Amino acid sequence: MKPRSFVKAICAVAFFMGLFNLPLSAENSILLKNGRIITVSGGTISGGDILIQGTKIAKVGKDLSGPAGTQVIDLNGRWVMPGIIDSHSHIALEGDVNEMGDLITAEVDCRDVINPNDINIFYALTGGVTSIHTMHGSANPIGGKGIVLKLRWGKSARELIFEGAPLTSKWALGENPKQSNASGMGRARYPKTRMGVEMAIRDQFEKAKDYQKQWAEYERKARAARDSKGKIAPPLPPKKDFRLETIADILSGKLWVRCHAYQSEEMLSIMRLCREYGVKLVCFEHGLEGYRITNELVEYGVAVSTFADSWAYKWEAYNTMPHAAALCAKRGVLVALNSDDAERMRHLFNEAAKTVRFGGVSEDEAIRMLTINPAKILGIDQWVGTIEPGKDADLTVFSQHPLDSFTVCEMTLVDGTIYFDRARYLEERKKAEDEEKKKQKEPEKKKGGEV
Amino acid sequence: MKKITRLAAAIWVSSAALFAGMEPAALFIKNATIVPVVGEKIENGSILVRDGKIQAVGKDLQAPAEAKVIDASGLFVYPGFIDSYSHFGLAEIGAIPSTTDYREMGKENPELRVAWAINPHSVHFGTGRVTGTTTALVAPAGGTFPGISALIKMDGWTFPEMAVKEVATSFINFPMTPRPPREGVAAQKEAAEEVTSKLVEKIRDYLKEARRYLELKRLAASDPSVKPPETNAKYEALGPVLEGNLPVIISVEKAKDIELAIKFVQEEKLKAIFRGCAQGYKVAEKIKEAGIPVIIDSLYVGPSEPEDGYDAPYRNVVELAKAGVLISFSSGDDPAQGKDLPYHAAKAVAFGLPHDEALRALTINPAKIFGVDNRLGSIEKGKDADLIIATGDPLDIRTEVKQLIINGRTIDMSNWWETLYQKFKGRPEK
Repeated sequence: MKPRSFVKAICAVAFFMGLFNLPLSAENSILLKNGRIITVSGGTISGGDILIQGTKIAKVGKDLSGPAGTQVIDLNGRWVMPGIIDSHSHIALEGDVNEMGDLITAEVDCRDVINPNDINIFYALTGGVTSIHTMHGSANPIGGKGIVLKLRWGKSARELIFEGAPLTSKWALGENPKQSNASGMGRARYPKTRMGVEMAIRDQFEKAKDYQKQWAEYERKARAARDSKGKIAPPLPPKKDFRLETIADILSGKLWVRCHAYQSEEMLSIMRLCREYGVKLVCFEHGLEGYRITNELVEYGVAVSTFADSWAYKWEAYNTMPHAAALCAKRGVLVALNSDDAERMRHLFNEAAKTVRFGGVSEDEAIRMLTINPAKILGIDQWVGTIEPGKDADLTVFSQHPLDSFTVCEMTLVDGTIYFDRARYLEERKKAEDEEKKKQKEPEKKKGGEV
Repeated sequence: MKKITRLAAAIWVSSAALFAGMEPAALFIKNATIVPVVGEKIENGSILVRDGKIQAVGKDLQAPAEAKVIDASGLFVYPGFIDSYSHFGLAEIGAIPSTTDYREMGKENPELRVAWAINPHSVHFGTGRVTGTTTALVAPAGGTFPGISALIKMDGWTFPEMAVKEVATSFINFPMTPRPPREGVAAQKEAAEEVTSKLVEKIRDYLKEARRYLELKRLAASDPSVKPPETNAKYEALGPVLEGNLPVIISVEKAKDIELAIKFVQEEKLKAIFRGCAQGYKVAEKIKEAGIPVIIDSLYVGPSEPEDGYDAPYRNVVELAKAGVLISFSSGDDPAQGKDLPYHAAKAVAFGLPHDEALRALTINPAKIFGVDNRLGSIEKGKDADLIIATGDPLDIRTEVKQLIINGRTIDMSNWWETLYQKFKGRPEK
């Protein structure tokens, strides 16, 4: 390797990994001073301070001070908000996460394919995102299990897992499980209608109930055998079925159901089906027509995780408008704005501004759609989603109000550790680029000397 | 016959006027903060519009008696935005092929014109206008020579009514060198670059054939002993491009490819506009020196290579502008997201592009790039009355465009979204 390309390689790898922003130690206390703090839970504090101790927010208020050795960061009037939570994404996973090989794939698990080296984790941090729900695709009426991660960039797969967050089950209705827009082998698969999609789910519920019965029966017999002290032969256990076991976990409420759906009629039908089986639907994914059935969504108590304005890319996404999120929120539906896309993830704060412009929610409500609302939907609101003492120190700093179109995310902390610091990033980049320029000039000089 | 046509035209025009709310001959906007883009900002100013043109702009104008008056107190007036690359009118729903008409099969289609396929009543004109776009370049896509774009107004009953330029630009999709393999595999890298060079040679061969055809045709016209070539629509279409009369938009992204493209443009003597230039910032001086303008693609995009840094798309715009390259913004490939045009500009401003330059890149710059700055791109006497009346800075997402004026007509601001919103807002709450 030529020396020049070696330097280039080092610089390249360092940037690409965002390693110039290697986490500072979380042992020390950090005091963020003189910021405009959007607490989400208790209004906005101008000239406010946040004291972080270890991984938690210790104090929020004015004129705070930390113990000796506290790292003080002057925010100079910049804006701080809780780290953004993306409740629907597919990043930080290895390869394809749409298991199309079978109609129902409830048993497959995103935990098995966490990719801690996905550069999109770093990009998300540069857009103020600190936690994500990363999910299986939408090819199956009941697809695989999803997981909540904290974006602890540089840590191992296991260390990214958001401890305590419930596991989720990804369902999908409409065009994707129907494979309406698919080509190749997908086209021949059942179902081809929304009726078929719903039946596929109902079938699984029945099978899982039978499966549960078989095991209950086995356990009864095994108990009897034990109690008989050898008089009754122990029974053979039923065949273990990971798929039905997962469905059984859905029936018992152990897995939180996240149902991809676009059209209002399929949402109404699936709510009825879930009521019948006592299944708790937590959230509709996309839910672009949710605004048509807000009464029913509120009555059932299901949330909507949606786009600010993505539409018209397929038929089922056509009958909507960028006012949809606002209309749902105003009528009492719990709404989160999600990315479903690695790039959109890093400008979710711009997306939230669109909901202010179209449909006219308040700026506070738009911020809630990025923070506490997704936290509630994911069952992690006891730890994240607001700036309050005792909560995780997951914060992000913006140059202007986060909904201002000219704002830039300048710093992002997860668990009190700075994972992104734009000033430092720019400084290190400049150094590396100057170094690179110098290296490029050197061989020329040498040549000159030889002549 | 002529009379009948004229009569039909008259009826048509009047019915159009009826739909547009019987436009008066003159329109007077008063009490506005006017940002003309060319020239200084005017506080409490007025604009007089007559016959679709701006007749006067200033502080102490009087409204003619016959004029329809718009009181823009507390509002801001900007020249209408120009979207420098879109598929407006050629696509309704991405996943449904029967609703898309911008991508022909095959590699060489330089003769195809979007003018033949634009649907003036596409739902995306109405939704695309909400943030202030009054003019758009509508482009074909796909292959090496996708065809010929049109520059159109975002309003009209038929394509001819909308057209500013029926034939606006040609296109060449430049080959893209694949992402270089890991350092140290120099041979692979060289091989990839060689493939690109060969592909460029292929394009040059095609142009050479077109030149030969046109030359033969010219010869045959003056010399009866020369047999004229069989008519070839593709080569015919390339004629104005090769003569340097019709600009050609060249899609190119990587720094190395941009350098190749500059050389290609100079050797072929083309009037070129670059589109994309994701790594343009690395060779900004060279682009400037070559005098080639750049159409920026959607800025809702990641870096083309991770090594470029997370903010490369925005930094790119800033550096290109700093080097003095004439830049303009575009909404990109999806007309459904056409309304995001000013939001892309805002993204560049957030990362350091001067706000004034961002405004120019939405207005006068594209007008210059497409050779229509005598008609569009600023609020100046004699220009088309394409105006934005907004509650604030139209680059800010939270700003609402209250009224658009296109060719002096006040445009109906309702659209598919508004239809749905009004209907479902009306559903009683339980």
